[in-house]
Amino acid sequence: MAKKCKDYVSELNDYLDGELAPELCQEIEKHVGKCENCRIMINSMKQTVELVCEGKPTQLPQELQVRLNQALKKRWDAKFGKQK
Amino acid sequence: MNERELVEKARSGDFKAFTALINAHSNKIYALARRLSGNDQDAEDIVQDTFLKAIDKIDQFRGEASFGTWLYSIALNEGKSLLAKQKRADLKPIEDYLPSNTAQELHDVSHLKLFDWKDPHEVFEDGELRKVLDEAIDELPYEYRVAFLLRYHEELSIKEIAGIIGESVAATKSRVLRARLALRDRLSGVFEEQYG
Repeated sequence: MAKKCKDYVSELNDYLDGELAPELCQEIEKHVGKCENCRIMINSMKQTVELVCEGKPTQLPQELQVRLNQALKKRWDAKFGKQK
Repeated sequence: MNERELVEKARSGDFKAFTALINAHSNKIYALARRLSGNDQDAEDIVQDTFLKAIDKIDQFRGEASFGTWLYSIALNEGKSLLAKQKRADLKPIEDYLPSNTAQELHDVSHLKLFDWKDPHEVFEDGELRKVLDEAIDELPYEYRVAFLLRYHEELSIKEIAGIIGESVAATKSRVLRARLALRDRLSGVFEEQYG
């Protein structure tokens, strides 16, 4: 029996993340070539991840770093004894 | 000095070794906490509580996982405690993200055609788009948010994530997929409204 779209959906993550076996990739690509909704689904799933990862915050704020160092030192000294 | 040596020194009470370990991962933990919580204050609390807990538990770190993976586990637990008050509806089953609840072949149901995204940047200012995205992520139940962010924000493998969250590889894969579909669904609705 031919696969239905719903059968492909569960494989789409692996396909998009480049972790699907080549023969299954070809199968999906063949299906997407003739199925507009699956093409839309793949493109928008890919865009979803790209959008979420755009401009991700990566830097610990400087003022937090300072407060953090003080709090960690205090806890460390309480655990291991005061160090220079 | 490699990670194992730094851990050994830290466990024997060397604060400099501990801060070297923490500094190697602090930006990543902060970025994850910021995305998980959706705001600066909670993110800062998660980061601080994570590192304080790491001090409390440093004796228990055996090095089976990397120090970074261990920190992620602590951060996720701290995030869960802090964000436990949030109530989110569970996600729909995978097939319900298709345009028909009966999950027929999509190309046979032209009247249920999915909305084709254009470039969201064309209709949203950068700040607005970020807000839409943050809201969409915030609406995910915590365990799905975690799986999605670890996979695509932190770029961890499914196997690594499964180890961190204590789930099977299959369950982890399913969480990541359902989160991605839920986010896509949510964003698609917003974009369709804007384009329409």
